[in-house]
Amino acid sequence: MASVADFAQAQAPVYHQERPAKSGLVDWLTTVDHKKIGILYGTAGVFWLLIGGLEALLFRLQLAKPDQDLFIGTQYNGLVTMHATTMVFLAVMPMIAGFSNYFVPLMIGARDVAFPRLNAFSWYTFLFGSLVINASIVFAHFPAGGWTGYAPLSTRAYGNDGMDFWWAGLVLLAISSMVAGVNFVVTILNMRAPGMTLMRVPVLAWMMLVIQFLLAFSFPPIAVGLIFLAFDRTFGAVFYETAMGGDPHLWQHLFWLFGHPEVYVLILPSMGIVSEVLPVFARRPLFGQHAVIFSGVFIGFVGFGVWGHHMFTAGMGPIADAVFAATTAVIAIPTGVKIFNWLGTLWGGKLTFPVAMLFAISFIPMFTIGGLSGVMHANAPLDLQQHDSYFVVAHFHYVLVGGALQGLFSGIYFYFPKITGKMLSEALGKAHFWLFLIGMNMTFWPMHDLGNRGMPRRIYTYPADAGWNFDNLLATAGVFFMAAGTLIMVYNMLNSLKNGKEAGRDPWDANTLEWMTTSPPPAHNFDFTPVVFSERPLFDHKHTEDLAIPVPSEAEQIHMPSPSWKPLVVATGALLIIVGLLLFNVAPLLWLVSVAGALTVVVGIYQWVSEPV
Amino acid sequence: MSAELATAPGHDAGHDDHGHVSAENNFLGLPNIKLAMWAFLGSECMFFGSLIGTYFFYHGKSLGGPLPTQVFSLTITSISTFLLLMSSMTMALAVDATRLRKLSQARAYILATAVLGATFVGFQIYEFSQFVSEGLKLQTSLFGSTFFVMTGFHGAHVTVGVIWLTMLSMLISNGKLNKDKASVTVEVAGLYWHFVDIVWIVIFTFVYLLEFIK
Amino acid sequence: MSYRLLTIRALRDRLARHPAGRVALSLLHVAVTAALPLLLLWLAGCSTEPAPRDTHSPVSDNGEISSFFYSLLLYLDAAILAIVVAVWAYALVKFKKQDGDDTLPEQSHGNMKLEVIWTAIPTLIVVAITVPMLVGVFKMSKRHDPNQPVVEVDVTGKQWWWEFDYKNGVGAGLHTANELHLPADTAITLHMTSADVIHAWWVPRLGGKRDANPGRTYPMSFTPKVPGIYDGQCAELCGSSHALMGTKLIVHPIAAEIEVEYKGQKVKIESYDSWVKAQQQPAKAPVAELEKGLKLFKERTCPSCHLINGLEGTDVAARSASSGPNLTHVGSRMGIAANTLVNNPENIAKWISKPSAVKPGAKMPDGLVTPEDAKTIAAFLSSLK
Ligand code: HEA
Ligand code: HEA
Ligand code: HEC
Ligand code: CUA
Ligand SMILES: [Cu+2]
Repeated sequence: MASVADFAQAQAPVYHQERPAKSGLVDWLTTVDHKKIGILYGTAGVFWLLIGGLEALLFRLQLAKPDQDLFIGTQYNGLVTMHATTMVFLAVMPMIAGFSNYFVPLMIGARDVAFPRLNAFSWYTFLFGSLVINASIVFAHFPAGGWTGYAPLSTRAYGNDGMDFWWAGLVLLAISSMVAGVNFVVTILNMRAPGMTLMRVPVLAWMMLVIQFLLAFSFPPIAVGLIFLAFDRTFGAVFYETAMGGDPHLWQHLFWLFGHPEVYVLILPSMGIVSEVLPVFARRPLFGQHAVIFSGVFIGFVGFGVWGHHMFTAGMGPIADAVFAATTAVIAIPTGVKIFNWLGTLWGGKLTFPVAMLFAISFIPMFTIGGLSGVMHANAPLDLQQHDSYFVVAHFHYVLVGGALQGLFSGIYFYFPKITGKMLSEALGKAHFWLFLIGMNMTFWPMHDLGNRGMPRRIYTYPADAGWNFDNLLATAGVFFMAAGTLIMVYNMLNSLKNGKEAGRDPWDANTLEWMTTSPPPAHNFDFTPVVFSERPLFDHKHTEDLAIPVPSEAEQIHMPSPSWKPLVVATGALLIIVGLLLFNVAPLLWLVSVAGALTVVVGIYQWVSEPV
Repeated sequence: MSAELATAPGHDAGHDDHGHVSAENNFLGLPNIKLAMWAFLGSECMFFGSLIGTYFFYHGKSLGGPLPTQVFSLTITSISTFLLLMSSMTMALAVDATRLRKLSQARAYILATAVLGATFVGFQIYEFSQFVSEGLKLQTSLFGSTFFVMTGFHGAHVTVGVIWLTMLSMLISNGKLNKDKASVTVEVAGLYWHFVDIVWIVIFTFVYLLEFIK
Repeated sequence: MSYRLLTIRALRDRLARHPAGRVALSLLHVAVTAALPLLLLWLAGCSTEPAPRDTHSPVSDNGEISSFFYSLLLYLDAAILAIVVAVWAYALVKFKKQDGDDTLPEQSHGNMKLEVIWTAIPTLIVVAITVPMLVGVFKMSKRHDPNQPVVEVDVTGKQWWWEFDYKNGVGAGLHTANELHLPADTAITLHMTSADVIHAWWVPRLGGKRDANPGRTYPMSFTPKVPGIYDGQCAELCGSSHALMGTKLIVHPIAAEIEVEYKGQKVKIESYDSWVKAQQQPAKAPVAELEKGLKLFKERTCPSCHLINGLEGTDVAARSASSGPNLTHVGSRMGIAANTLVNNPENIAKWISKPSAVKPGAKMPDGLVTPEDAKTIAAFLSSLK
């Protein structure tokens, strides 16, 4: 029986770059290596997670007791808006992008993504977008329109100056996501190793494929909505001007046509991670892999037809309400299929419980709680009571924190050894897990009750006699547990980088291609092009007698893409275009900055296409 | 097992950024760049779908004039539409020429396409200034906002196409785009160009023509 | 049948009475023990603090429909969750790897029959809850027959208070603010709209909310059933003082006055007709010691935004989007500044001397009056019952 160590014997092939990588900072600035870009995304994600969590901690302090005045009015609204914008766009999505960058090529046995430089461009537009949104607090105020930015509250007449940074940053993030979506669709469809048919693609990579489609197709509507907002705020267009006949529903439709697929963008990768982690620690294949994959695809499709469930109280009329309510309820079915298949994977396995597994198994009940309250919302007559109440806040934190975030935590503990070559401390990890699980339930469970007791969301203060005091106090207390847990995780990562145990290639005795190569993998990922015979290629290698290890042929000269400044240049051009539009509000002539940006983009692209790769 | 190996689809171990493409090396048998363009155009469908959708959502809801029928000039727009249609033809010829490895001929067609596209944009600028002088501005009404932003973004797409085609012809001139690479590269630019053209047909039919039929 | 929310305890007692219920309960116990921390918090969530805005103690037909679906789905969801968690917990305990056991378990890739079952059963459940739900949607959106006695009120949300214009039925022509008075057992239609951004009028005890959209009007029809005083507030983020955009619903008995409990106190509610009669009266001219208040009120430009019917020089304000609440009977309201403060002369004085200190961003300007003048004006305004 082969062991994974045998792969070390395969002699390392030469690889060749047109212009070899420099070292240090220049290397990180010019890198087009999907693994480095993945690390950049992931690090940024964890950083913004701390910031978004800090914002939550601050406004939870304000809500701890009735009638407080720590953060009032727009200060509070700004914190909530930035908390949600940060968590959704700057923490969870980049963490997902981190995993998808780092692992999708490894999982499908590719050397890089389809368009490495475009990938670096996505990273930079993301980075600039995140900075632009947060620059609001330096140059103006936090945007305070809620993460949903409903017009007309977000227009010039009612919204504060922070909204300009909000749309500008989101436009950059939208570009980043659409570009990345196209890039990864091509990567996953076209760059698979020989023998890796679609049905052998690991579930995580599959879910990434689904969300890339969602990104590519759901970001355009919000981009259009943001462009309208930008034109209204900057040039006096009247898209959201109700006095001119504008309709407040326009923004809502455009936003939720994006917003609902977006929530599946946030959850599907975590479901993919859970689908990778459970089989490894149950020592058996994922139960019903095809069902898990197809249900993910189905969720992606149906996800485009349910956006109206966020608008049951908006007055769309009973027919639209009925249609959206019915389509929404349907999503419970494929999601249930996933849950039951995970249970099927556990059933009859031989389970071990390292931290990655703990987060993966606690995902199941926590997400189910959130999903089931989602089914309550899908009931339009009931949602008239629950909409914009804390019941909704409870729903989406169970799916986002108990689901998406816990899944990503599981991924961090599972994949950290592969990325760094070092193991994380299990003891610290367990402390993180328990603190976080307890804190999360302590914070978000009482919110169901608050919703039932009629507490609306996004209120910065509440009267002492409404019966909301105890639940709110409890909710605030819980945040400290989550914060402690999260900080422990960060410490654990930093500490392991220095002091962690060596991980080796395959510390978990796992099944898929990424564990076949060294930890961390070499720049060219695999010394040889892997050939795949089932959905568990590494398992096959370890458990099949006559499966020879492919040896790199002499002819196999690997050509790796060269580092390049051009993605940074073009992204800077895009940033300048946006900044020029922002400056237009300050002095109209400053729109010339946009012109300079456009020129930078054109020249940058010309150099981009003419430089040898 | 060896049989399986033999039938396993080929695999491009490397990457292929702009230019480095070869149709055989990919799992779906479609060059990456072409697949990417199809995915991108799907995304663009949602983009223009949202813009055109908004135009219709707001159609007839403007509180004041000028109305579409008062500003639209079918003659002028028909001419510019015709030019854009012709540019699709020259684009198709350019793609054909690259396939036949006649690069200099292809370059001529590419430039012709770019010129036609630029003329279209010129017509659009003229049309816009005409509308403004007739009292329809971005700020005037829902019609003004939706019309200018929708057609403006279409015009921006044509402009991007013109720049792209110009770059292509430059790359051909200075030899950076050789005969092997050119075929796919130009074809992809062609996909984009035809798409932008089709979007215009949709806008011309539903926004301009329909206005006069009712 | 009452749709009141069952407490967890009551549910347990009910279940324990049936054998099948007892099985369900023991399942639940397995589930809950496995998720012990969760259980503690669940119970914590069901604390005994009174809930004056309970969404599931409905006082209207619409509220009953919502609450009915809540109970239905709560029990359904609890059952589904219990099954999932029970299987999960059982598997975690039963299939834990034994020390020293390094063999592979059976490498099953799935089971078609199971896939079909766990697709089909949820499908049936979804159909079973969707059909009544659709009925509910159309029931709640039905309009009252305008030939029947209907009270219709235009509800306009404004940053950050509510304006009510009675359009039809008893009380037609009234123009009030922040407190909505309605007759019990009468068909009501509210027409929701807004003068600036989106708001949502929500009184949890009454039932569901509706958005008040600028540039759009949307009706909400219902029949209030239980006389009483119910708190509510704006439920759609509408700017800096969204948290302080309160409202009250006072459901009056049709005939005689009755006594209800409100926040632990007994309060009398007159009949709807007598409330309407009182509101239809113009304001009485102030008695001598309050005349100074009226004079200051006129001097300090208050009438440019506020209307007082029947007092010369104060009933001229043109109603516009920027105007403030009608003050003709402001003394009769329970709260001021959209129920942010209890209505008494001190609070009125506090409010008018610096509104932005009470409500961040308030649309009524600061600095109109000195604190002394504010007291004088407040005494006068309080008298406007
Ligand atoms: C990760 C993110 C995520 C996920 C996965 C979901 C999943 C779901 N969501 Fe959620 N949702 C949000 C994030 C998410 N949501 C956010 C952020 C908001 C608020 C936005 C805002 O206003 O700011 C929101 C709001 C929201 C609303 C609007 C509420 C309101 O504002 O009034 C609705 C209404 O229908 C809804 C429904 C659902 C449903 C039906 C699902 C389903 O996909 C859930 C399916 C899962 C299950 C049902 C559990 C497992 C299934 C079984 C065990 C099978 C058996 C079950 C049955 C037969 C019922 N969500
Ligand atoms: C993925 C998305 C995501 C995540 C992970 C979270 C995480 C959390 N959320 Fe968030 N939340 C949203 C998405 C998310 N939220 C959205 C979309 C809204 C709607 C906004 C709107 O209405 O517009 C919302 C709204 C929202 C509200 C409602 C506010 C209101 O309506 O007024 C509340 C209230 O408690 C809340 C709380 C929390 C808490 C306590 C966490 C916790 O899980 C956070 C845990 C803490 C951490 C993970 C980090 C802790 C670390 C530190 C504190 C140390 C910092 C130190 C350094 C920087 C050195 N959130
Ligand atoms: C520019 C317009 C404007 C002017 C001038 C103005 N108000 Fe107001 N007033 C408002 C608005 C708007 C509100 C509602 C604010 C809220 O609740 O958020 C209000 C609310 C009130 C209320 C509370 C009413 C209720 O039912 O809750 C009182 C009392 C009041 N104003 C008194 C005065 C007095 C006295 C003056 C003059 C000294 C005055 N107002 C001048 C706009 C104005
Ligand atoms: Cu009005 Cu919130
Ligand atoms: Cu949704």
